[in-house]
Amino acid sequence: MAEARTPLLEVRGLCKQFPGVRALHEVALELHQGEVLALIGENGAGKSTLMKILAGVQPADSGEYLIESEPVRFQNVRDAMAAGVALIHQELNLAANLDLAANIFLGREPNQFGFFQNKNIHNEAAKFLKRVGLDLPTDTLVGNLPIGKQQLVEIAKALSCDARVLIMDEPTSSLSQTETETLFEVVHDLRRQGISIIYISHRLGEVKELADRVTVFRDGENAGDLAKDEISHDAMVRLMVGRDLSEFYDRQIHSPGKVVLDVEQIRTPEHPNTEVSLKIHAGEIVGIAGLVGAGRTELLQTLFGVTPALGGTIRMNGELIRPQSPRDAIAAGMALAPEDRKLHGLVLPMTVRENASLASLKRDQNKGLLNFPAEEAVAEEAVEQLQIKTPHLEQVTRFLSGGNQQKIVLGKWLALTPQLLMLDEPTRGIDVGAKREIYRLMEKLAGEGMAILFVSSEMEEVLGMADRALVMHEGRIAGELARNELSEQAIMQLATGTPLAA
Amino acid sequence: MNKNTLGIFGLLVAIFAITALLNDKFISAYNMQNLIKWSSLYAVMSIGVAFVIITGGIDLSIGSVVGLVAVVLAYQLKVKGIDPGQAIITTMCMSLLIGLIHGLLITKAKIQPFVVTLCGLLIYRSLGRWLTDNQSLGPVPLEDDKGYANIDTINSLDQIFSGKIAITDSFNLPTPALFLLALGIAAALFLNRTIWGRYLFALGNNEDGARYSGINTDNMKIIAYVICSFMAGIAGILFAFELDSVQPAQTGEFYELYAIAAAVLGGCSLRGGVGSILGVVIAAAVIRLIYNSINMLGISTHLEFGILGIVILLGVMADEFLKRYSAQRAAAKQKES
Amino acid sequence: MKTRFLIVIMCALSLAGWVGCSKKTDSEGDNDSSEARIAYVTNGVDPFWDLCAAGVRIAEKEFGIGCEVHMPTKGVVDQKRIMEGLLAKGIEGIAVSPVDAENQTPFLNEVAENSKLITQDADAPKSKRLVYIGTNNYKAGRALGKLVKEALPEGGEVIIFVGRLEQLNARQRRQGVIDELLDKPEQELSSVKFDAVDAKNLTAEGSKYTILDTRTDNFDKAKAKSNAEDAITKYENVKCMVGLFAYNPPACIDAIKEANKAGEIKVCGFDEQDALLQAIKDGNAHGTISQQPWEYGYESVKMLKNILDGKQPETSFHEVPFLVVTKDNIDEFWAKKKEMAELGKQD
Repeated sequence: MAEARTPLLEVRGLCKQFPGVRALHEVALELHQGEVLALIGENGAGKSTLMKILAGVQPADSGEYLIESEPVRFQNVRDAMAAGVALIHQELNLAANLDLAANIFLGREPNQFGFFQNKNIHNEAAKFLKRVGLDLPTDTLVGNLPIGKQQLVEIAKALSCDARVLIMDEPTSSLSQTETETLFEVVHDLRRQGISIIYISHRLGEVKELADRVTVFRDGENAGDLAKDEISHDAMVRLMVGRDLSEFYDRQIHSPGKVVLDVEQIRTPEHPNTEVSLKIHAGEIVGIAGLVGAGRTELLQTLFGVTPALGGTIRMNGELIRPQSPRDAIAAGMALAPEDRKLHGLVLPMTVRENASLASLKRDQNKGLLNFPAEEAVAEEAVEQLQIKTPHLEQVTRFLSGGNQQKIVLGKWLALTPQLLMLDEPTRGIDVGAKREIYRLMEKLAGEGMAILFVSSEMEEVLGMADRALVMHEGRIAGELARNELSEQAIMQLATGTPLAA
Repeated sequence: MNKNTLGIFGLLVAIFAITALLNDKFISAYNMQNLIKWSSLYAVMSIGVAFVIITGGIDLSIGSVVGLVAVVLAYQLKVKGIDPGQAIITTMCMSLLIGLIHGLLITKAKIQPFVVTLCGLLIYRSLGRWLTDNQSLGPVPLEDDKGYANIDTINSLDQIFSGKIAITDSFNLPTPALFLLALGIAAALFLNRTIWGRYLFALGNNEDGARYSGINTDNMKIIAYVICSFMAGIAGILFAFELDSVQPAQTGEFYELYAIAAAVLGGCSLRGGVGSILGVVIAAAVIRLIYNSINMLGISTHLEFGILGIVILLGVMADEFLKRYSAQRAAAKQKES
Repeated sequence: MKTRFLIVIMCALSLAGWVGCSKKTDSEGDNDSSEARIAYVTNGVDPFWDLCAAGVRIAEKEFGIGCEVHMPTKGVVDQKRIMEGLLAKGIEGIAVSPVDAENQTPFLNEVAENSKLITQDADAPKSKRLVYIGTNNYKAGRALGKLVKEALPEGGEVIIFVGRLEQLNARQRRQGVIDELLDKPEQELSSVKFDAVDAKNLTAEGSKYTILDTRTDNFDKAKAKSNAEDAITKYENVKCMVGLFAYNPPACIDAIKEANKAGEIKVCGFDEQDALLQAIKDGNAHGTISQQPWEYGYESVKMLKNILDGKQPETSFHEVPFLVVTKDNIDEFWAKKKEMAELGKQD
């Protein structure tokens, strides 16, 4: 239906060169009115660069950019907005201390002689909030809203600027299942209203559900397009990585060994009134599923001593421990790859070597002096074992991709050979190739007898990787599912607080 | 030597060369001797504050600690007639204790470093004034003075802390330079060669990241504040012997600003996580050199602060500009790989 | 964690306790302020002012009136704060040494309206103060110039050091020295014409002396010393250093001693720090002009008492004689100073 008309937005032969790097080469893209186009590709495939060019953040070197067949050349984001192209950032750009109306009209406050005209903006704001399905008082502070709603506010803000094209960059990466569903409804609604959407995501399940068409990028070039009826998980992965990935989740079930972690009735500061008990065996991979805010991250942090437990007991290999800080937990044989790699996992301005060795410096010390050869060896082994792609060990980790950063976090812990490895959202923001490598590593470590406990919001990941899944709801463990009981439906049911029928 | 240190060294050489060209007496042994002496005194303080700044903190109390240490030292020697060795040890312990209190208040009571050390600035200054009734005291006896016990020991301490070692016929190395050398090397080794130094950098860059890696960040921060106050204490002793007179209300006043200025000019970022001891020492020398040059070139003393401010601002701007440029280069290079 | 914290607090308290116990016990700051009717306000903290305080104490006893002594540490701001506090207390008379006479005039007038105001040590001639008690700083400067001439009969290069030149007394002293050395005619104190503060290489036809420069240090003693050192470096022919504020001559003496130029460079100074007196005794400094600070305190209290008793001063300038101290009278002077210092310290 849409093909008959001229595209709303079109780029042809777009090239972008960074000093020494070919980010985009002869790239083409079409977007029709009222269409949801998914843009997928591994990290570094050129998605972000193209997106930035489309939204006026940076200019292209050469090539054509047409909107309704008219060539355009945006100097900045303002130009793009004026032409109706708006970018919804991955990191939301809202002011937490302002209310909804103020955020929507931020920078465009209707004013007279510099004074606010407060009356109208609330009515106007309500109009746009309604279009994204938000029925909230316009004087609600944005900071008080959950992340999913904030995202909708961001979209409302774009609509208030008469946006015709919305570019959404990994919009669901920090949303729970329900929030994601709400977002999908909004996306469907917007499509009905004639808004076109470029949807960038790593989650192929979502893409399949939402997209009218998929454009795949690889190494800065077009790797192929998929029409609605051609969209399938395998087809997308094949185009992204350029080869077949027959078995993405490569699991062999090991017979569990002795109990490594035995937790009885601990209470976390986040949910002081609920108790959690669980056991993890050597060689076992246990997944914790649940909605965002169900207390999964908090549980891992309490086990790791970041937020010490209020009560209950934690045993490692039968020995009672009371971790008051990560130091205590590490000494007991635990390791945690935290959810927020940039904030908690790595010291970004430091090098690969310094990050990889940070946890083992103490072990390798020579009466307080740094043991440089040992440090080097730890870093080299991490790079080798985990196939970290870095030009050299002195590379600052800030400049590495998400997947490689995560591998450094893992390498840091593996140097200590922990008995229990905890992973909080192990593959968030990581491309397909690196994802698979991390899954393989988890499998290998479990095979060697390590106990692995991971938290994930990605259904496929829990289904694919866990020997056993614990589903959390409002701070407690709502249910436990053995591998043969695992299903999307069962997990969602427990996660939303409905007990499983017997 | 990293780029930043190289840059500040270039600045030192440039100002040195310009002054030397414009005034031939500038490079006399006597003047070099003085320049080295003053640079050493101020650099000792600056090294201390560099540790705190590397953790992302700040210490505003340095000047007052210098003052209090000098006062307490002179007080013990002059008024109390306490054994000089013991007096030195007491004052050192006092400076360590001050640092410990700062560190505990900041990490355990979770009060912002700015507030803790600002209050310290006020408290130590008034403590010194109260102790002495605001009387000026000299740690070193005059011949006619009967208030001193242990005159010989004090005189030998004076030789240690503000003496001179003949190197050539005309050039004598002031002993504070040896203190700087020893403390500077120790500080640089600590920062770059021990695990604790690495921990300080890690926590300065990302405190949570460091904690999640099993580092006891609170203890490391406390150590930084203890080092800072200790260095200020050493500087206090050096200043007391150098000036032979301690004015409780004025000795050390505003020195924290010189120290912080030197640390920043020397490449420390107030955001934490970055810094080099060599850079800070050179920067302290640059600041003293500017003062010396202003006198040598006969520029009005009223312009001193202005010139100092402009040089520091330009230095830090140049550094920021370089950093951004190299970050862009690195980011671009990364895209390539 | 808590116990450790407690231990530290205990340590801190015991430190404070130690400091307190070891402190001499007879120091209670000011006299009982409830009976103080007048106040004596200095322009900073210096042993000089302790000597003044001694005179205040002598006069208190002699005239039977209580007097508070205040020493502001932070220049104009602190001084203003202190005087405002005194006014708020309803003090009847204030003798003050204004930090910045010119610019404080409006404030001093405000004080004068609410209390009996006299100035001492430094004057604020444009204000409504009743009388100024002080040294004729210009004359004293000339006397200092004469000392320099004695020290350098052959003439030579002279450099001046001073805390800051914003103060009228500092400018008058400096001008007195300059005029004397350059054989300029004597000027009236009230209408002294000043050479530019950054004037360099001042000399005059027929004069054997050159005043190289005037360096300021803003009361930083480390700066005062490095200024002297830098002068030694820069001017190899400098023959005499003149220190106008009490700490300047000792700083010069130190610097000269360390440069091994004792005897080569003479020092003439102002005021009476022990290090300077010792140097005069040893021959390392030529002489000093003492303002006899105790006289300041004494005369201030006497004057305020008279004013409160209804006796208005006859002139607006009450001159306190200065004393020229050289090797000839050093012992006698030093003994007197020690006596006064003891008395002032009991404060």
